Formats: sequence, C-alpha cells, structure tokens
Amino acid sequence: MTEERLLEIKNLKKYFPVKAGVFRRTVAHVKAVDDISFHINKGETLGLVGESGCGKSTAGRTILRLLEATEGEITFEGHNLLELDKRELREMRKEMQIIFQDPYASLNPRMTVADIVGEPIDIHGLAANKKERNERVTEILDTVGLGTEYMKRYPHEFSGGQRQRIGVARALAVDPSLIIADEPVSALDVSIQAQVINLLQDLQKDFSLTYLFIAHDLSVVKHISDRVAVMYLGKLVEVADKQKLFDDPKHPYTQSLLSAIPVADPTYKSDRIILEGDVPSPVNPPSGCRFHPRCPYAMEICSEVEPEYKDYGEGHYAACHLLEQE
Amino acid sequence: MSKEKLIDVKNLATYFHTEEGTVKAVDGVSFEIYPGETLGVVGESGCGKSVTSLSIMRLIESPPGKIETGEIIFDNKDLTKSTQKEMRKIRGNDISMIFQEPMTSLNPVYTVGDQIMEAILIHKDVNKKQARQESIDMLTKVGIPLPEQRVDEYPHQLSGGMRQRVMIAMALSCDPQLLIADEPTTALDVTIQAQILELMNGLKDQFGMAIMMITHDLGVIAEVSDRVAVMYAGKIVEYTDVETLYANPKHPYTWGLMHSIPHIEKDVDRLQAIPGSVPNPLDFPQGCKYNTRCPFATDKCREVEPEIEEIEESHQVACWHVDKLEEAKAKEKKEKEKE
Repeated sequence: MTEERLLEIKNLKKYFPVKAGVFRRTVAHVKAVDDISFHINKGETLGLVGESGCGKSTAGRTILRLLEATEGEITFEGHNLLELDKRELREMRKEMQIIFQDPYASLNPRMTVADIVGEPIDIHGLAANKKERNERVTEILDTVGLGTEYMKRYPHEFSGGQRQRIGVARALAVDPSLIIADEPVSALDVSIQAQVINLLQDLQKDFSLTYLFIAHDLSVVKHISDRVAVMYLGKLVEVADKQKLFDDPKHPYTQSLLSAIPVADPTYKSDRIILEGDVPSPVNPPSGCRFHPRCPYAMEICSEVEPEYKDYGEGHYAACHLLEQE
Repeated sequence: MSKEKLIDVKNLATYFHTEEGTVKAVDGVSFEIYPGETLGVVGESGCGKSVTSLSIMRLIESPPGKIETGEIIFDNKDLTKSTQKEMRKIRGNDISMIFQEPMTSLNPVYTVGDQIMEAILIHKDVNKKQARQESIDMLTKVGIPLPEQRVDEYPHQLSGGMRQRVMIAMALSCDPQLLIADEPTTALDVTIQAQILELMNGLKDQFGMAIMMITHDLGVIAEVSDRVAVMYAGKIVEYTDVETLYANPKHPYTWGLMHSIPHIEKDVDRLQAIPGSVPNPLDFPQGCKYNTRCPFATDKCREVEPEIEEIEESHQVACWHVDKLEEAKAKEKKEKEKE
C-alpha cells in the first residue's frame, strides 16, 4: 500500500464552554477533544472507537469544521482546513462528506429522495442542467442499491436500512475522497447492518474512498478497518494496525475494552477484565493519565504525570506509563 | 426433563387492533422457563420479543392490544385470566422486569430509595424504617458505592450504569422467582455492559431466580443463556439450548443472522448479509414469514406456514427445508477445507 497521507491531525483540541450565572460567564470547559494527533492514509479505513462521551463524534465533526476547533492543525491534501475562509471551505467540503448515525433524523422529511441526493450536486454546481442532475442522481441511487422508482418518494416511506442508503448516496453525490461515517450502522437491525457494511466496502473499492469510521461496536470496527484508534475521555490512548491492536493491545484500557466484548460463541471463555466505576466527567478529568482511577495497573506516577503519546514501533502508538518502563 | 416448570407459555397470541389493520405482534408462541435458568429471547426490532414479555406481565395496553389466545401458567394459575388486582400482587413480587432505558423507567422526582421502598412496602409486611434498611442492603448487593448516601439521591445524579443497577435493585427487592430483562444493556457502553451482565449472573445464583433475557445481541445471548428462543415476525422459529443453537443452527434465519454479524474472534472478507428487510407487520407474507428473505424458499414456503416441531431432542425448528440448510452447511465446510 502506498502510504500517502490524505488527512493529518495535529494537536487537535475542541473545548466547549460551560456557562453559568447571570452574566453567562464561562466557568469551566468540557474538554471533549483534548490534544489528539493522528493521520489517515489514502484509501484506508481508520476506525475510531471509544465509549459514549469519549469525544469520537466531536473529533469527526471538528475535522469537517462542522464544529470550530479550539486549537490544532487539520491538514487535508496539503491544505490546513482551519485557515480556509468560507468560500474555500465550501469548495473543500466537496472532498469530505459525512454519514450520520440516525437515518431517521438526518434526512429532511419534506424533501424527496431525488432532492436530498441532488442538493449537494446543485450546491457545488456539478450538473449543467436538470436533466444532467437527474441522470447523476439516478446513477448514484443505483450504485447504493436503490432503484429509480424511489426518486419521488419521501424518507418516511423507507425502512432504516434504505434510509441509510439514501444517506450514503447523498454523501457520494459530490464524489468525495474522504467520508466520515459516524456510527453508520448502530441504529440498524443486525441483519441490515451487514448490508450497509458490505455496501460501504464495495463503494470504497469502486470509488477509492478513504473512511474515518467512528463506532462503539468493536466487532464491526475490526471487520471494516485497516487501522484502529482508541479514544478515552478526549484523548487517544492507542492507535495501531488492526491486527496488532486486537492481537497485542498495549494500553490497559484497550485490553479491558476488548475483553468486555460479548462473543457470539457460548464455548468461548474470555479472561474478562471488568473495569471498576464509570467514565469520569470530561469537565473535570482526572489528573495525570485520565484512565488511572479505573486502571488495574495504576502506579503512583499515573495520577501525577500525563503519559506521553508515542510510537512504540511500526506505527503502534500508545500513551501509558507502563510501556515507558519496559 | 422432569423438572417442574416455573412458567409455561402455551400458544400465546397478542394482537394490536389499529386503524390500519391488525398487527399480529405475537402469533402463537410456546415456551417454558425452569427455575434458576436463563432463557434468552433473540430477534430484531418488531419480532415480538418485547410484546411477549409485556404479555406475561399483562402490561399490554388495551385497546389496541389484546391477548387473543393462549395460556401463561405460573404457579398453577393462568395469568391471562388473572384480574389486574391479582396481577399487582405478582408484579414486582413473583415476576419483576427491567427495561432498556433506566432513565425513562425511573421516576425523576423521587429519590432512588423511595422508589425501591415502594415495592418493598407494597409486598412485604415491614415498616418504613425496615424498608429503608432493606433498600440500602439491596443497593449494596448491586454494587453501588456509598449506599447510605446514594439512597437519598435522585435518578439524574446517577450515571447510566448506576441507574441500571438501581433498576435491578428495585426488581430484586422482593425476591422474585422470575426476572424479565428487556434489552437491559443495550443503552450501556461495553465496559459497563460487562459489569451489569456479571452482576446479573452473580445475583441469579445468589437469589436462585430465573431470567428471561431479551436482546438483539447474539454476543450477550451466548454469554448468559442456558436455552434460547429465536423470534422472527411474531413467531419462535428455533428453540433449543445455547450450545446447540450456536454449533448447529437449523433455521435459515438463525444461520443467516450468525453469518451476518462480524465475529471478533475470526476474520472474514465479506459479511453474508440477509437480503431485504423485516416484513411490515400489517402485511406479513403468506406462508413462512421468512420466505421473502430465505435463500432456500420454495413454493411450499410461500403457501403454507410451517409449525414449530421437535426435529432432534429438545431442538425445535419451524422450517420446511431443514435438509437444504444442512446441504448448504456441508458445502460451506467443504469450501473451507479446500482453503
């Protein structure tokens, strides 16, 4: 594989202010994404996993500038996205699209399928006239497995799986190179999930797409990704090649996360690491390593010093004091 | 098995009579639960798994819902014929239930202590002080730290995992014989899910109760169940013990489901998706309800609905073409060996 980087994130931060009092003064910040760095190579799928509230969706949205970053650098095909003005950004958005989790909430109920898929084509002026636009819409709908007979219909007439296909079609309409898929199959039934996953994989091959696949379901992420990044409370704790991450997880959080997955095989006995407690609040995260209050191996240093996020060989990144001692 | 059944559901059918037509949410299901075991009920949205459990609790809103036929034998009584007054004695006392979303099932304006005490005061002969102490004991048993303090807190002060623990404490406070758990971990994160499943397994042994575990997650089912009923479109299509089900699924739907999920322990290049989608309950296909999606469907399947029957010892399947699936499995095995 040619390791050409399509997207590079450096020290990205996204803080949400917490306002209180009569004057709505900012009293604290929710550090949803707190200094993360990673890259995505052209044509690969990077899986981004973590539990609810870890900042994975915020990270995805900040990359697209649907949310404005607090600090950091986002380089996409050589351009720093955070320095683009509105017009340049709109131009750039053609290359980067998003698919949302909830196919019920993310489609406008008053628009027909043809208009939902056609809207991005109009905005970016990709069709010379109506006829050309409709041809393009037909072609895309056909690609995602929806027939032309559906063009005049409204979202409520479709099942969840079909709606997610419409969402995929809308993202594909402008012929992007990067698609951020934010929990695209979580809301779907088990038998439908496989259909959408297969579709995404086929499209990746046919259109040489690059995916940032955000999900909490580790089996799905393992299936679809080339590399996997694990987030915990706004930080990246581990990034590695899929096989390496699942065979040899280095960070204690990754280890417990992997062991917590229920395996669909009653004869399988896992050595489960049950974590104590809940994920702490991102408003006031623990000092030092954010995982230390729940970590089975926590040492004194872990509550004091934040571990450095670094490469432990062949692109296997992790942030843990245990590894530094080895 | 000569063991006495805790609950025996016979040919239960629950329909909803709506303006658009009759929805046959549950259409003739039969199963039993033995004391101390966990029965897993698995199926996709709309398959009738939740309606089955609500029918047992007699919590079907009527109208539009109605238990049309069938018997639910519990403690030598048919619950379908019980009055609501009799049911109130059973609910929370003999049979308890926990739901998917702990926030919406807890009352936000009462403390968790008040809510646990409510059940204890109704069903047990104790005073308020004793009930409070019992609530604190229950919170300790479900692993809530600082129970003396937590007992006076409100649901919004607790995290999702803690709320589900409170729900479990409430459900177990009167020592039920059967706990119905409807997707109890679906809204929780994996690490919290692992905590709750571990807790439920421990409490099951401690209290000696039976659990009816309803979920769509084949991983959770494999982990907690002794026996499993697979539901599709209001019917049980396969019913057997958990090892047999996973090692040797006999219904094409069960087989399809297992092939359509990615398995963490083995890699495949491509998932074998089940084509199409779950049929509309207002407009179920004639014959076997899975025929529109089944790779083995024949004219017979499109005309006559198969009854569930025992094809091997304690292995029930509702399919006309069990042999065709066996052929497909043999072929698949051969191909694997070739590789």
